[in-house]
Amino acid sequence: MNKTKRIENTFDVVRILIAILLAYLIALIILALISDDPWNVISLFIIGPFNSKKHVGDIFTLMIPLVFTGLCMCYVYAINKFNLAGEGAVNLGGCLAACVAIALRDTAVPGWIAIILCIIVGALAGMLSTAIPAIADQVFHADVCVISLMLNYILLYFTTYILKNVIKDQGASVTASYKLGRKVKLANLIPGTQIHIGLLIALACVVFVAILFYKMPFGYKMRAVGVNPSFARYIGIPVGSTIILSQVIGGAFAGMGGSVQILGMFPRYKWESLTGYGFDGLMIAVLARKNPVLVPLSAFLIAYIRTGASLVATKTQIPPEFVSIIQGIIIVLVAAEMFLSGWKKRLIFSAAKKSLKEKEAKA
Amino acid sequence: MSALRIGSFLYSVLRLSTPLIFAALSAAICEKAGLFNMAAESMMLWGALIGVMVNGWTGSVWLGFLGGCCAGVVTGLLIALATVKGKADLMLAQIAINLASGGGTIFMLYVVTGDKSTSAMTIKSQSLPKIALPFLKNVPIIGRMLNNQNLLTYGAILAAILLMIFIKRSRTGVHIRAVGENPNAAESVGISVSRTYFLTWAISGLLGGIGGVFMSMGYTSAFTKNMVAGRGYIGLCASSMVRGNPIGAMLCAMVFGVSDAIANQLQLTNAPVDLVMMLPYAVTIIVLIIISVIKIRTHVRKIKNKASQVV
Repeated sequence: MNKTKRIENTFDVVRILIAILLAYLIALIILALISDDPWNVISLFIIGPFNSKKHVGDIFTLMIPLVFTGLCMCYVYAINKFNLAGEGAVNLGGCLAACVAIALRDTAVPGWIAIILCIIVGALAGMLSTAIPAIADQVFHADVCVISLMLNYILLYFTTYILKNVIKDQGASVTASYKLGRKVKLANLIPGTQIHIGLLIALACVVFVAILFYKMPFGYKMRAVGVNPSFARYIGIPVGSTIILSQVIGGAFAGMGGSVQILGMFPRYKWESLTGYGFDGLMIAVLARKNPVLVPLSAFLIAYIRTGASLVATKTQIPPEFVSIIQGIIIVLVAAEMFLSGWKKRLIFSAAKKSLKEKEAKA
Repeated sequence: MSALRIGSFLYSVLRLSTPLIFAALSAAICEKAGLFNMAAESMMLWGALIGVMVNGWTGSVWLGFLGGCCAGVVTGLLIALATVKGKADLMLAQIAINLASGGGTIFMLYVVTGDKSTSAMTIKSQSLPKIALPFLKNVPIIGRMLNNQNLLTYGAILAAILLMIFIKRSRTGVHIRAVGENPNAAESVGISVSRTYFLTWAISGLLGGIGGVFMSMGYTSAFTKNMVAGRGYIGLCASSMVRGNPIGAMLCAMVFGVSDAIANQLQLTNAPVDLVMMLPYAVTIIVLIIISVIKIRTHVRKIKNKASQVV
């Protein structure tokens, strides 16, 4: 029995790797077909992100928000509720953090307290955003996915309202908030790159989530509810509150992601559209197989592909959006149970045969 | 407000509702089959792009329309392939398709034209004709509202009625509903569930594709990146508010059209546009919650009645 389990686990990893390789290969073929100088473009796409310190830094800075939303979606996906409000939570978290930063800019509050306040406000904003669909789903049995999709637009228009009417700097040439101020700017970690302290915060969150997932009763309850809610109810786990709570906790990370991204990367708040980090987060959670420990790894992978694509986009005319095709192919292949399932069955079958023979030889 | 202004306001309501109606119908048929259609977004995007491309390439609006429809159907069938044959999770597959379509249409536009944001400069495409109804000309409000609408605006209303008849009356429609109620029971009486799913997705894709064609060859006269902008999701909402009834879905989509039109009007004044834009979504959430509460109440009452009869 253990043998079968082991084959299944290793097979899952191999399957994800094959899916990624296949999607990557398709992308390379497309790139080669449409560019005049295929070798140059392909090498830029593959090696480009590693060929200078700045580019490696770009991968890591891009990774930061993805880790946060990936953690958020780990919670949501672990209990099999497709609460997509993480997308709007990033905007709301970023916007409210910017408001706090602007309010505290000219006061005597020291920088580190201001930063902590901003991030806490971001986290609370995120919790609020995912709590609404979660409660609508659990208490009123409305569809969580539809509600969260609608909520994303509400949050988007709400944040643009705040941006245009409350914190807009009339002196700026484009629609942007007042300057957030130097004191809330997250400190640079490695000179010569844009990597900021947010990376450490993200990794600390990963550790926290991993402990909560695997070492605390709540994590066990959550995973039990995700795998089989009826069984969980039978053994006395409060299913409804567990489902709501895990979505709320997840939302906190998405909101934090938004605030950290704003504090770390931008001098002003100016998001006027959804960022897409929320949906990326779902993909990262899928790639990491709901395991928070693997979230940084899959976030790194996505960030690497993105960085390669934007390098290609700056050197040639090819739009960076072609990575989204890769992402789509990866998700479908990983999600499709039938992909390579024949191979898995054969492996398990031959292993079972072998152990049967060994038993017979012993007897 | 004068009759003329009311008339032109209602005219713009119908115009803005058209893509929403198609998206809502696309979601409605899926809902009847027990599926959940988040991907109307990508069906519309591909319909819009391929429609314009075929139109520009052949010079014929009608071939463009046909191309857009095919693109929608292919998108629908891809989802069916991934979920029915590949056993992928429905939600994940659709999120993946939406993700891939958002970028994929931009990429394809670039490959074909070299432009990354719009086809307006590079592809010569026409719009579908507007229909003049001379006999309505002198009717005060309705004349202004219905006259000179795009062909597909009438098409949307017709499609809702046809879909209603198809689902209620036709053999295939009954099969679709049976599968939606209980796939195992349907399978046991000899209905092929997987074939029904494929068919449902194809019809859904067709409707989504037509909605996309309207976006790029009626509403505007070119493809612009991300031009669908969440209309697929609004359609999904409209249909889930009435649990997949096509006529109801059409009416709900029109409610969204009204709020779109109000927002458009208010944009000309000093009102906070963003808050106005927020309203339809907020209303949807509240209505969805109220409907679910009513659903639960009636369900509980039914069970209680049955229980009292037994006792």
